[in-house]
Order: sequence, then C-alpha cells, then structure tokens
Amino acid sequence: MAIRIKVKNAETGATVEMELENENTVDEVIESAATFWGKDMGAYVLRKGKKVLRGGNTLQDASIRGDDVLELIPDPEGG
Amino acid sequence: MGSIDDDPLDRSRRIGWLDLGSIASSRVLMVGAGALGNEVAKNLALSGFKNITIVDMDHVVGSNLNRCLFFSREDVSSRTSKVDAIARGILSVSPDAKPVPICERIESLPTTVFKDHDIVFGCLDNIQARIHSNAHSYRAGKAYIDGGMEGFVGRVMVARPPDGACVQCGMNRSHSKVAEMRFSCTGKDVVFHEPRLAAEITTTSVVSAIMVREALKIVSGRMDMLISNVFYYDGQRNQSEELEITLNPNCPVHQGF
Repeated sequence: MAIRIKVKNAETGATVEMELENENTVDEVIESAATFWGKDMGAYVLRKGKKVLRGGNTLQDASIRGDDVLELIPDPEGG
Repeated sequence: MGSIDDDPLDRSRRIGWLDLGSIASSRVLMVGAGALGNEVAKNLALSGFKNITIVDMDHVVGSNLNRCLFFSREDVSSRTSKVDAIARGILSVSPDAKPVPICERIESLPTTVFKDHDIVFGCLDNIQARIHSNAHSYRAGKAYIDGGMEGFVGRVMVARPPDGACVQCGMNRSHSKVAEMRFSCTGKDVVFHEPRLAAEITTTSVVSAIMVREALKIVSGRMDMLISNVFYYDGQRNQSEELEITLNPNCPVHQGF
C-alpha cells in the first residue's frame, strides 16, 4: 500500500513529499532525500519525533504512517 | 592567601556530587588527538583526571592551529606527533598528571587496551575507527563517549554496556558508504574532492565540554544524570536536544551478547 510522507531537511528547513510503499526501508528514504537535495556524500539519520529510525527497518516496522513528517539530519563524524 | 586560594580544585570541591578521588584515580583512554582531542584533554586535565592515555598516529600540521590549543608552529616545523603535543599540554596545566602518548592507529593496538581503562573517549574523524573503538569498549564493558562534529553541528553519544544502544546501533547505510573516509583536519588522507568543513572551534568546545561532563558523571556514580541516548547540538540554529536510539539486536556489537 502506498503512503505519502513528508521529509524535512534539517539543514535548510525545506520539505519534500514522497510516495512510498510500506516495504520501503528507512535507508531508501535517506538515500532518496539526500539525492533529491543534492547533498554531499556523508552520514545522515532520519528521525521521527525524538526517535532515530533504524536504517534497515521498513516503514511498516518503523510504524511510519501516511502524513508523518520525518526529518533528515546530518550525523557529524568529524573530530 | 588562604588554603582555598591555593587549591586548584577548590571550585570543583564545591560541587557536592563530584567524586574527585575517583576522577583522579580513573584511567581514561582518548582515541584521536585532533581538535576534539585537544579540547577533551584540556577539560580532562583541568577537571582532575590524571591517568590519560592518548592514541593517534598523526603529526601536527599548520591547518590544525586554529582549533588545537596544545599545538604550536614549532610542532608543525618539527613534525611533532599529536599525542606528544597533547601529553605536553596536559602536563602544562596539570603537572602531576600521567599522560601516556601512543603514536599508533587504534586498530593496531591489542584490544586489551580497552580493558585496561575505565572510560573511552572517541575523538575521531572517521567512522571505521569509531566502529572499532565503540565495539571493543562495549565488549570490554567500558563506557564509550563518542563525539562528532561538522561545522556548527555536533553530536555526543554515551554507550554504557551491558545495557542500551551503542554507537553502531544508530548507524545506517549512509554510514557504511563513508566508513573508509576521514573527515579530517590534516588533509592527507581525506577522500573528498571538495574541501569539507570538519571542525570549528566553538562547536568543538561545546561537544568536548559535554563529553567530559558525561565522564565526570560516570566516574562520580551519577548515572541518573547521563545522556541516555544521543545529544545533538546545532550551533547555527542555537538548538540542542536529546534523541532516542534503541538497541538494534542485529547490530554486530550485540551479536552473541
């Protein structure tokens, strides 16, 4: 079943709407959103509210529902 | 002048819950001696930590100097190792400290190095070494405090075995893709084609302060005050918040645990 969600870019505040299947994974959402915004290759995480979503989980596993707003945030790895 | 003014740790003694005896006797392993390593070392030494092992294989270069307190132009010209420069810096602010500099990759050291310390700090610039330090700290049952920065954004995670998530539990495929890259200050081994802003001193100060504060809580037995998951700091928007990372049973660190 297709669901529509919004992904917010934490760095710019921009939002993109995505139509996805429940079987799509969090990893796939991260890659699609990062590609859409032309982000540098780097580490990112996707959050829903206060929770960081697990990459390999499907949207169903992660309890993502239509109209949810997820946020793509950079995971800084420099030192 | 009275004894209060003679005691370098007098102000720390006024914070009732700080266990200065445990802080002085605990053994700290600091992996990485770049921008974050300098600030963490300074905070550790001034907070009363004495036994500090520093591991890094790089030498000091000129581009380190805008954010590394203990590095000098002389270190650049003499190609001083970062660990030696930091050990010297620790002694300059805490003469009775016992810093142990080890100029090596952490992956080249026997894993017993993790067992031999009480707390491990990840002050690293690459995911591979971070994964290594996180995994071996967790398996050795040692708290691992990991910091990361990029420009004005920072992150601190505290992994406390045997319970709870570790740093690798929060990683995904995007981390795997960049695992071999270094988000470094030296430039030498950086894979990026475009220059990348890895460390900025005000962010470094915030992240290192939080890292050492968490260590003070652990050593003083105040687990109730610890960051329970991961702390994010965004210096551009002046925002910070704690996010939740749950233990991933498929995480390699937790396999067979």
